[in-house]
Amino acid sequence: MAKFITIGERISVTAPAIRRAFEERDPEPILTRCEQQLKAGANYIDVNIGPAESDGEERMQWAVKLLQERFDNVPLALDTSNMKAIEAGIQVYNREKGKPIVNSADAGDRFNRIELAANNDAIVIALCSANGIASDNDERMAHCQRMLEEGLMHGMEAEDLWFDPLFLVVKGMQDKQMEVLEAIKMFTDMGLNSTGGLSNNSNGMPKHIRPIFDSCMLAMAMMQGLTSAIVNPNDQRLMETIKTCDIIKNNNLYADSYLEI
Amino acid sequence: MAFTPKKQAFNAKINAVTLGTGDKSIVIGGENVLPFYTFDAPIANKPRIAVEISDKGLEGCVSDGIKAFYAGCESVVDMAVKAQSMEGASAICLHFESADPNGENKSVEDCVALAKAVADAVEMPILVMGCKNIEKDAQIFNAVSDALQGKNILVLSAREENYKNVGASAGLAYNQKVGAESAVDINLAKQLNVLLSQLGVPDASVCMNVGSSAAGYGFEYLSSTLDRVKAAALAQSDKQLQMPIVTPVSPETWGVKESMSPEEESPEWGSLDERGIEMEVCTASACLVGGSNLVIMRHPAAVATISKFIDSLM
Repeated sequence: MAKFITIGERISVTAPAIRRAFEERDPEPILTRCEQQLKAGANYIDVNIGPAESDGEERMQWAVKLLQERFDNVPLALDTSNMKAIEAGIQVYNREKGKPIVNSADAGDRFNRIELAANNDAIVIALCSANGIASDNDERMAHCQRMLEEGLMHGMEAEDLWFDPLFLVVKGMQDKQMEVLEAIKMFTDMGLNSTGGLSNNSNGMPKHIRPIFDSCMLAMAMMQGLTSAIVNPNDQRLMETIKTCDIIKNNNLYADSYLEI
Repeated sequence: MAFTPKKQAFNAKINAVTLGTGDKSIVIGGENVLPFYTFDAPIANKPRIAVEISDKGLEGCVSDGIKAFYAGCESVVDMAVKAQSMEGASAICLHFESADPNGENKSVEDCVALAKAVADAVEMPILVMGCKNIEKDAQIFNAVSDALQGKNILVLSAREENYKNVGASAGLAYNQKVGAESAVDINLAKQLNVLLSQLGVPDASVCMNVGSSAAGYGFEYLSSTLDRVKAAALAQSDKQLQMPIVTPVSPETWGVKESMSPEEESPEWGSLDERGIEMEVCTASACLVGGSNLVIMRHPAAVATISKFIDSLM
């Protein structure tokens, strides 16, 4: 029923320009990418500051305030392995437009991020892997169940755990793609929300191929009930696919101008 | 364990739109619950009733009750003034029936003169309804919106064929409220709102007429349209459908045989006046529970009944 939620992935230290901007506290490259993503229709913006072991707390607070002050309290996904930085970010986070997302917990070393999210009334992305990719869906769903119980035990609403099957690269793991899609269906059948880093699937492919793969994978995943994804919202083909799938799923009422809104 | 009902207030809400100015101005919309679901959350602005006055006066009127109510009125302006005293009335809807080029073809200048005279005489908000001729309506709305600047009127309606013209004049240049009309077509209802918004008309200046019909005359299509529009607006937070809904009831119900067939021709149907009232009451109440925020009606007895109906459900 609810529209698909897109989390814009382009503010990330994996991009050299953004890494430099975080290090030098240079607002412009970060603000520019945020604006581009919002204009393209992103709902949430992911803020990947890297591990930032020395200055993570100060760095995350700087980024949260910078983006929310400029863009009307845009909702954010706080993306770092540094727990203290996530907590620091939430301290200065304005919830007017949506709860913060903790990106991410898993069933291994990052299991305690679920409690962190519960203690801070945040949404958490729960990656269904422990130390390494789940070998099959039995293992994936065991991780899912364990993280769900952990969240509920700490008082979270099930809807605030967004389960991530972990999208896998086609070039190398082609035989695992349907399994990932089946896992999404299992989350859906349990009434759970889901998300994931979609573009993993097209990693290593030529630039002109990636939007095609991302769009097809996304459409198939939405068919399985995927409720959100971490994506590049400036990929027009992908965003048009999401909007169209939302219409077909009756998540949004059709109007001739639906691609423009 | 005691039963605790789950409240179904939505995060989204219908836009609150103000019509008219001063003490008699009204606000329609603003609710974040389904129609009359006051047990889920308070509804600040109750649905309203506008009284339809034809620019032909009582010409063609078959209802003794309506004629009796306006007894002594010598002009349309007199009628508009009198309509303000109708129990349950909140606005006056001036219907330019005689502007139709295929009928009397009343001139735009004459329409403007009448609109000005009515606006000078009444304090309630004014709605202006056209003659259903696309081109003539655009001309009337343009000229009347200009002449009544500052009165915050609602023009009915901008349609797919003339939304640019009506939206740009009434909505943008003269700062009036615009009704976006579609005929039981939810996709077009949304599309018109998108187009008006792309034109620059603020969302808070737009109301929707998503269709109208008399009970028994394809009303189920209107009913499902109203349901789907409210569901999209509230449950799916669809900003392009969060405009309050205005439904002309009387132009439909007074045109069907139940309200028109003389008693000598249909004696088994009973009193003509009663039939007309019942058609209005049935249709208006069904529109209101479907989600109309304002209904346009004629008969004083029907208006009073629907007004009590609204108050008792609030």
